[in-house]
Amino acid sequence: MSILNIICLISRAKARSVLLLVLGAMVAMSAAAIPADIQGSAALYNQSMFMLDAGYASVHDSYLTPITYDGLDLGLSIEVTRWVNHYRWLWQLQVGADYNYVENNAKNNDLHKVMGDITFNMQYAWQGVLHPRLGFSAGPMAQLRAGIVYDAVNSNNPVTVRAHWNLGATGMAWFNTRMWRIPVTLRYQVQLPVAGVFFAPEYDESYYEIYLGNHKNLAHLGWWGNRFDMTNYLGADFNLHKVVLRLGYRNRLEHWTVNNLHVHDFTHALVLGIHL
Amino acid sequence: MTTIFINKTLRHFGACNTTPQAIKKVVPVVQRCLCCLMLSCLCWGCAEQDDFGHDQVGNFEALWTIMDEHYSFFDYKQVDWNEVHDRYRARIDNDMTDRELFDICGDMLKELRDGHTNLIASHDVSRYWIWEQWPVNYDERIIDQHYLNFDYKMASGIKYQILTDNIGYMRYSSFSSTIGEGNLDLILSYLSTADGLIIDVRDNGGGLLTNVETLVSRFIDRKTLAGYICHKTGPGHNDFSEPYAYYFEPTKNHLHYLKPVVVLASRGSFSATNNFVSIMKGLDQVTIVGDTTGGGCGLPFTSELPNGWRVRFSSCPVMDAQGRLTEFGVAPDVRIDMDENDRTRDAILDAAITLLTSH
Repeated sequence: MSILNIICLISRAKARSVLLLVLGAMVAMSAAAIPADIQGSAALYNQSMFMLDAGYASVHDSYLTPITYDGLDLGLSIEVTRWVNHYRWLWQLQVGADYNYVENNAKNNDLHKVMGDITFNMQYAWQGVLHPRLGFSAGPMAQLRAGIVYDAVNSNNPVTVRAHWNLGATGMAWFNTRMWRIPVTLRYQVQLPVAGVFFAPEYDESYYEIYLGNHKNLAHLGWWGNRFDMTNYLGADFNLHKVVLRLGYRNRLEHWTVNNLHVHDFTHALVLGIHL
Repeated sequence: MTTIFINKTLRHFGACNTTPQAIKKVVPVVQRCLCCLMLSCLCWGCAEQDDFGHDQVGNFEALWTIMDEHYSFFDYKQVDWNEVHDRYRARIDNDMTDRELFDICGDMLKELRDGHTNLIASHDVSRYWIWEQWPVNYDERIIDQHYLNFDYKMASGIKYQILTDNIGYMRYSSFSSTIGEGNLDLILSYLSTADGLIIDVRDNGGGLLTNVETLVSRFIDRKTLAGYICHKTGPGHNDFSEPYAYYFEPTKNHLHYLKPVVVLASRGSFSATNNFVSIMKGLDQVTIVGDTTGGGCGLPFTSELPNGWRVRFSSCPVMDAQGRLTEFGVAPDVRIDMDENDRTRDAILDAAITLLTSH
């Protein structure tokens, strides 16, 4: 049985179990650490982290099929974090691409989803307020994310385009500690788009009709009434002097309902990263 | 409980000096964070699911519902889909084999009298190809042997030659074969000396509508209304968008053929070919000869059942320039059948040649 098959076998319930396991592991690892000599609070580094995501994906797009597909999630991204204004503010730029290879339950068809995104946020930081090594930050974010979902078997609805531009909020909490005498920053970050614009064809509108020039009702104002996206990241950065290694978990949720179409995609991924 | 947990956790983190007041401040914040995480988990559990069972009844209901919500011609064809459901549902039980289920589902789809509607499984494809029962009105061998003498050119899936009466002949057997603009230039350049042109799309089962545009654009000299297209906007049987008028324009910087043209059609001219014939019929210099086309004016979409079977169905109605549906075909200007007993002559092609030479 291939790794892909094993991943595909993970149900949502199992995925939640995996999440709880990861959370538990993080807490246990943290609890075991003895941060004896860590002082100061500004421990999120100016860094450019290259990351690889690998995990489970679920894709439901009623334009293509009423069936929910699940399978493999792979992603590559870079996250640039910079402090400004004497550690009062920080900004992040995240650029990434991800690919989902998902199958139906009958295992006789697959979908390919390819997305790219760029996210920028600016956050105000509170450090050492509740604890010397604990920091929080929050601020606005802007995100552009676009791509396609492709079903090779469908006739005149073989592909659907995903594109959205969102404004929202992001927030982080981090804690500096040590594990095995290695300085570690534990971090949780949520990205929560609030409103924006996104593309969706009408219920059974063909892309051929759009090609012919009928561009009516394709752009939609997105808000929590018709669209909900969220990205959660939980992980640890291990500072090995000249190299920072990242181990974490990321989940991404995209849900929208418009024009009687429904999309509900999510991923659970293990994140490996390196900052040189 | 949460307070105790957080307190212990903070102490494990080395927060021995944390004051009780600070912990009290932390608790609600952490509680809220945990709530958010839990809500997130709930959101993952709320994944949009197909509501159908995976047994035989579930698959039948899934098929019926997909068609109920997406098929375009219930009213046009006066099909009572609820009555159809009740009639066929009575024949379904969970103990039947996949083949038995497939046959009943296939029969149900035939009630729609639609060549674009198929149920596709690993072992079979259900179909309503009524044109198989009608006169074929096309025999490639007769044309190759008795009109082309096995001497013809081929490019972009188009077979072409100038016949003995100085009439150009183009045979396009499938709109799935993509036509290159350069190839079309060379074909029309070769045929440009002919007094007229025959485009033979008999027994052409359709393909890509973009190829229709490519071909039609060589026979017009101005922006031309090609037809109207609409689509379903919701699951109701009459939830349709306003018909959208679409136009074709002459291809720029390429050859055009504006001499008299005859298009040969048969019942086997289906789907995109039906669309091609309906557009060409509206052009002044074009005459349609042969039989009524096979129809199929709904752009087919594909969906899927829980057991992995695919279902294809007419989804987006395409109308002609007069706004009429051509689901049951486009009538020719000159109606004529081939003589099945004469293995040397093609009566439809002969009629076309006569028509063009008499201009």
